Amino acid sequence: MTIGAQPPARGHRLNWEGLGATIVVSLAAILVNVPFLTALATSFKTTAAISDPLSLPIGENATLQHYANAAYAAGYDFELYFRNSIVISCSNVVLVLLLGIPSAYAIVRLNLAGRWLLNAVAGLRLLPAIFFVLPLFLMFQNLALIDTVWAMIIVDTFLNIPIAMVLLTRAISELPIEIEEAAQLDGASTYRILLSIVTPLLAPTLVAVATITFLFSWNDYLFAVVMTTTNARTIVAGATNFITSFGVLWGDISAVTVLSVALPVLLSIFAQRYLVQALAAGATK
Amino acid sequence: MIRKAVDNPAVDSICHIPTGARRRSVPKGWARWVLSAPLLLFLTVFAVLPVFYGLWISLTDQSVLRSDINFIGLANYAAVLTDKAFWSALWFTVWYTVVTTALVLVTGFVLAVLANRRFPGKRGLFTFLLLPIMIAPALMGLMFRLALNGDTGLIPGLLRHFGLDVSLFDPHAVTTLLVVLEVLQWTPFTFLIIYSGLQALPAELFEAASIDGATKLQAIRYITLPLMGPTLFAAGFLRAVDALRTFDVIYVLTGGGPGTITTSLSIYVYKMAFISGSFGVAQAAAVLILLIMIPLAPIIIGRVVAQPWSKK
Repeated sequence: MTIGAQPPARGHRLNWEGLGATIVVSLAAILVNVPFLTALATSFKTTAAISDPLSLPIGENATLQHYANAAYAAGYDFELYFRNSIVISCSNVVLVLLLGIPSAYAIVRLNLAGRWLLNAVAGLRLLPAIFFVLPLFLMFQNLALIDTVWAMIIVDTFLNIPIAMVLLTRAISELPIEIEEAAQLDGASTYRILLSIVTPLLAPTLVAVATITFLFSWNDYLFAVVMTTTNARTIVAGATNFITSFGVLWGDISAVTVLSVALPVLLSIFAQRYLVQALAAGATK
Repeated sequence: MIRKAVDNPAVDSICHIPTGARRRSVPKGWARWVLSAPLLLFLTVFAVLPVFYGLWISLTDQSVLRSDINFIGLANYAAVLTDKAFWSALWFTVWYTVVTTALVLVTGFVLAVLANRRFPGKRGLFTFLLLPIMIAPALMGLMFRLALNGDTGLIPGLLRHFGLDVSLFDPHAVTTLLVVLEVLQWTPFTFLIIYSGLQALPAELFEAASIDGATKLQAIRYITLPLMGPTLFAAGFLRAVDALRTFDVIYVLTGGGPGTITTSLSIYVYKMAFISGSFGVAQAAAVLILLIMIPLAPIIIGRVVAQPWSKK
């Protein structure tokens, strides 16, 4: 009776099961978030209270000092790193969409290159990033792009194009072609159809692609560590910088970590629908 | 061009051919090339070119110190293949991939089956549960470092509270520790994929099964599991690919140590390139990693991201 995909709630037996599910999922949710919750708590604790791991940041144990320290620490330029991450992630979103939408349309509707092109792009996702680290590093070195946001924008676009293409081609193929055919009969050019008809219809997918692209560029670490040192350092790479150059200032490190995940966490709360859609669609047919 | 234009969609739409293979796209001359030129150019310069450049680097003695670059054939490959550290990194990475992928599938599946019903607080709990997916693995590594720190960390603190004094970063404990951390971070991901898959299963099957007297466990064993095969495969495949190239968490947490026991393949290449400075040897190792992963390519193309419109 109760094993259907979404059984309706009836009788008190079901309520017990629902309660059981609440408890199990709550425990799982707390468990997987222990690292984040620990960092959050530590970031508000006074240095004295931090030495007792079981204390809570309340009363005289609470302080905002670590956030002030993080903002003005020597060798850690929060404002610059934050701005870099914003610039890189936003440019990346724009570039991925600009490159992705027209070519996805060409692949699905204009019969571009059969399917091998999409296969090849999707297959890029499989290649180990580490393979590209050295060639791209040396290329960018020759182009004097190391430690510029340009290097990071290019690299992150490269990393995000595969999933973006998978999502975009799928969304375009699901649009009813009749609208485009009607527009064509009315004399609209291919470019016009793409710009004025197809792209607006893709809005939900564009949000999903933008969200996941933003998140992945924000979270990239390997390339950020290799390609940037100070001027273009991202907030995530900067945070790990903090731990190596400042020893064991756990409170300050926690504050930096919390600041670095704040935006992704907010995104995950307010754009969760799109993120879930993008992540799930990227994995299944 | 013209022939193609003729045998394509106009005929289809007039005849209303009800087959799945109906092709409605028309070759529209240059438009498709104009529209895709930016992407093709981008990929040529930043994906195809680096592949060949990478192969070239692996055949040279290029290093951080040398300005003159000489072709040295396969010497770098010989150096990698005779390096014990490479084999230990390969062994560690494969072991880590197999163990974490299997575990994270089990935890994700169990959680998804349990959560696949109505229960109080579902929406909020889901948001909370999915949070780790959004956190940068490198920052997750930092947070783990904090939570596991011997003096101030919550976990050692709790363990001490219960009278256990273990050093989590000891050589014999550290690999297990990394597996646990990977499972913690990625259970939400497999949960999400598997839960989405469960939503798509037809409810009638389960109603029929329960009318026939099947217990819940039987229904899971004989209905859910077989039907979820492709979803489990996709989730496991994506996790395995990520685990094979794992870098961030381990590098931030242990730096590949103590010694080299937690050095993954990616960490091996990174250290060879940017700490030892031997670009040629590092890239030869990277090429070998690529060769290991190439046999997996047809899987991601064929099963995980099947062409969306080919099924229609």
